[in-house]
Amino acid sequence: MPIEINWQLLMPELVIALTLIIVLIFDMFDSISKTILGWLTIVGAGIALWVSIQMQQAGTVGTQFNDMFKVDSFSLFFNIIFLISTILVALISLSYLGKDDRKQGPYYLLILLATLGMMLMAAGNELIVVFLGLELMSLSLYVLAGYFRDNPVSSEAGMKYLLLGAFASAFFLYGIALIYGGAGTTSIPGIASNLTAESQSPLLLGGMFLLIVGFGFKVAIVPFHQWAPDVYEGAPTTIAAFISAGPKAAGFAAFLRIFMEALPAMQSQWGDVIILLAMLTMTVGNVIAIAQTNIKRMLAYSSIAHAGYVLIGLAAANNEGISSVMLYLLVYCVMNIGAFGAVILAKTTDGECLTISDYAGLGFRKPLLGLFMTLMLLSLAGFPPTAGFVGKFYIFKSAVQAGHTWLVIIGAINTAISAFYYLRVVVTMYMREPEEELEFSPYPSTLVVGLILAVIGVLFIGILPSLLLNSVQNSVL
Amino acid sequence: MLLSIVIFLPLLGVIAIALLRGMGASAIKGIALAIGLLTFAISLGLYTGFDATTAELQFEEKLAWIPGLGTSYHLGIDGISLWLVLLTTFLTPVCILAAWNSVEKGLSGFMMSLLALETGMLGVFCALDLFLFFVFWESMLIPMYFLIGIWGGERRIYATVKFVLYTMAGSALMLVGILTLYFQNGNSFELTTLYAKAGGFEHSHLLFLAFFIAFAIKVPLFPFHTWLPDAHVEAPTAGSVILAGVLLKMGTYGIVRFCLPLFPEAVTHFTPLIVTLAVIGIIYGALVAMVQPDLKKLVAYSSVSHLGFVILGLFAKNPEGIQGSVLQMLNHGLSTGALFLLVGMIYERRHSRMIADFGGLAKQMPIFASIFMVVTLSSIGLPPLNGFVGEFMILLGSFLTDAFSKWYVVFAATGVILAAIYMLWMFQRVMFGTLDKTNAALPDLNAREVVVLLPILLFIVWIGVYPKPFLNRMEKSVGLVVTQVRQETAPAMGHAEKQSLRDSELVLREGQSETHASKTDLQQTQRARHEMSEGTSHLGVYAAKRRYSGRSDLPIATPYHK
Repeated sequence: MPIEINWQLLMPELVIALTLIIVLIFDMFDSISKTILGWLTIVGAGIALWVSIQMQQAGTVGTQFNDMFKVDSFSLFFNIIFLISTILVALISLSYLGKDDRKQGPYYLLILLATLGMMLMAAGNELIVVFLGLELMSLSLYVLAGYFRDNPVSSEAGMKYLLLGAFASAFFLYGIALIYGGAGTTSIPGIASNLTAESQSPLLLGGMFLLIVGFGFKVAIVPFHQWAPDVYEGAPTTIAAFISAGPKAAGFAAFLRIFMEALPAMQSQWGDVIILLAMLTMTVGNVIAIAQTNIKRMLAYSSIAHAGYVLIGLAAANNEGISSVMLYLLVYCVMNIGAFGAVILAKTTDGECLTISDYAGLGFRKPLLGLFMTLMLLSLAGFPPTAGFVGKFYIFKSAVQAGHTWLVIIGAINTAISAFYYLRVVVTMYMREPEEELEFSPYPSTLVVGLILAVIGVLFIGILPSLLLNSVQNSVL
Repeated sequence: MLLSIVIFLPLLGVIAIALLRGMGASAIKGIALAIGLLTFAISLGLYTGFDATTAELQFEEKLAWIPGLGTSYHLGIDGISLWLVLLTTFLTPVCILAAWNSVEKGLSGFMMSLLALETGMLGVFCALDLFLFFVFWESMLIPMYFLIGIWGGERRIYATVKFVLYTMAGSALMLVGILTLYFQNGNSFELTTLYAKAGGFEHSHLLFLAFFIAFAIKVPLFPFHTWLPDAHVEAPTAGSVILAGVLLKMGTYGIVRFCLPLFPEAVTHFTPLIVTLAVIGIIYGALVAMVQPDLKKLVAYSSVSHLGFVILGLFAKNPEGIQGSVLQMLNHGLSTGALFLLVGMIYERRHSRMIADFGGLAKQMPIFASIFMVVTLSSIGLPPLNGFVGEFMILLGSFLTDAFSKWYVVFAATGVILAAIYMLWMFQRVMFGTLDKTNAALPDLNAREVVVLLPILLFIVWIGVYPKPFLNRMEKSVGLVVTQVRQETAPAMGHAEKQSLRDSELVLREGQSETHASKTDLQQTQRARHEMSEGTSHLGVYAAKRRYSGRSDLPIATPYHK
């Protein structure tokens, strides 16, 4: 059967693939300054972002490759999330990588590959395609996590991530196999039509739980979260920001797609599991974050806790729930990358400031840095008028609508707990005197631009979320 | 527009200071003071333009904000919030002036926090949309957190984190309550339509508690008060003044605005418990204040005691009690604010707040001593000063009420006596006796400090001598709250009825009847109000049932004289 290819439908993916090839080619020539590769990545992702927004506004819907690849406003909205994350990460990476030419090429190449993988995950209409996307993304991330080869911590992070990630992929694949055994197909609409509330074989049930385990690893849900703090701490800070943002959103995109479209008939089984995981994830993430002294580890636990908030919306399993998850993921990506960006900004001549106590007195000595960091942390803590508040509010609202009031109470109490450790950084910055005078490097301008974009995003979504909200509410599955 | 201007003008000042921070200390102070005074001047327009003959919401503004979330930018004030708005705009410039020379590091940040705080507090008092209310309620935490944490005393970090965590724990529950109400309100955060459904909510006891605990922490009601002494003692003077003057009132305001009108049945159910806690707070606060060696701590604990009176008056559920409580909110803001200012002034001179370090100051600082005397007497509640009017009305209201036993009043009244003991004893130890050598060179108040205190003294005497302009502006609104909280016996509505109510309200809202009242209904209300002001019959007063939605076919409230 000849395959009719609708190129327009594949536009965002094609743009990224093209950028990827251009980056690859440019990297071959030593005469070209390698800093241009970062800019190429930004421009490519920017074009793809623009195309995605246009398609999303136009309400483009369609499938491709024998229904294996599905473009709808849901996948397009997630494309927007991924591309915004990629652009922000590329912006904060420009200065982080320094002047070393050999480091640049593969770095941006892998980031683009991972982005492509995420886009495949969100658009996969077939479990195999989702798996392909997942692997493309994960393999690129394993390399990126260990990107600073000469740094043992970074290598360790890459290794750890690879081992645990490979396990997770195996679980995931096994889950797909079992579901295939139970439902007779791996196509997502096919599974949905083959399943009724009665036809629940142990195979399906087992497959479903294995999928949850696989996803749980990828998006760092308690009790599958152990890799996250080590990887975040060891990986280059820009990559920690990247791993915490886009891939997490991609994991949840595929999660939503599979569970809401393929397995809605089994909601009575997975619904309670998700509620339980949500409670565990929020509480464990937040409580352990309190004990952290390294800011990257703290942000790692905080991102675990945020996965828990997202699960609240997932557990609601209604339209409001899905759209709140989408909004929250977008908001979360922007503010989390912003927070990591602020960590990169706090760079001394000896290296990065990673212990929270290093931030003492920074608020007054480096007002801009203090402001960025404070805003991002307040947004993560969910204080109005920032985006974090709107996102969290919307998630809680959808959960109350679904009748999960107790879950919301636990979520709200967790918000109060999280305020403690987020504000502790602010306390250190503004209210404690520094023990030793640290020499700070001057601000790199690209990093500042990236952070300003994040700040604008956080405040704009926080104060006037209407536009975005409409778009999200029209993008549910 | 007037309300928006008043609320957001200070925020404009924040931006101005942020942009002009390089201009030097006096410019920053000048800008902050100018913005503070301008805000106060504009807010006087609310006073002059206020129509005291109606309980309608005034200066209303309504704009679509986030339709996707069902929220609107809806502001408005009534006779209760009017006073709190004015108190806020009045105290902010006073605080700016009081902090004139006492802030050394980060002056621009200090002024920005103070002004941002003003915006947050004003927003809380004006918001008529639960979402908007919550946004202001939470965002006001951040500047206060900085004020205590950066410019506070030795244990400032402990105090500020405790303050934020207590408030956040409370507001977490309130958030759940707000969301639950949203779905029972036909997917809207609109307060006016909520009023129309008052008394008919499912799980009203839990909802009441969700709101009440958040507010009780803020008030603070015993046993939620432990954050208050820490925050007060560690906060800089301006922070203490704002904290005691306005922030605590946000709790009592929340109770009047949400708890009483929305959950009348739950109010009745929990009244014995709450009133007991209030009385315990009155006596406990007073007793603990008595043994404090630290002036600031003494004033802080006296706040716990005073706010207990306010709660007592609110739950008396009659016009005297609630009016007295609202007036006492003002009084407490003025007199406790002034006390903190005075303590701050003496601390700047002597760098001590220990009562034992002083003595005989009256000879050395006569102006200070006389102003201190007036404020002390006001705090005790001596006629003809403001504290007397408020406390008297509260005690009268709680004596007349059928909501709780008169024994509560007997115990509460001992609080007045205890207040006289601890305040006068403190005054005696600080002002009389022998003047210590170390204090012999303390200078008396300078012109700026007198200017800071005089306006407060003016209001202390004014409210005490002639409270009518204050009382008559709040009378109608308080009357409305009383009818709302007295409608407890309204039969619980069936589901179908509720649905039809919801539908009709939707129609009403779409029709945008801004006044929320049909003409006949308004007339009916006015007739009832007339009866009330004549004081002819208490029975008639409460029969006047007034609902914001303008429905006249809803069940009539039962009079409270059974």
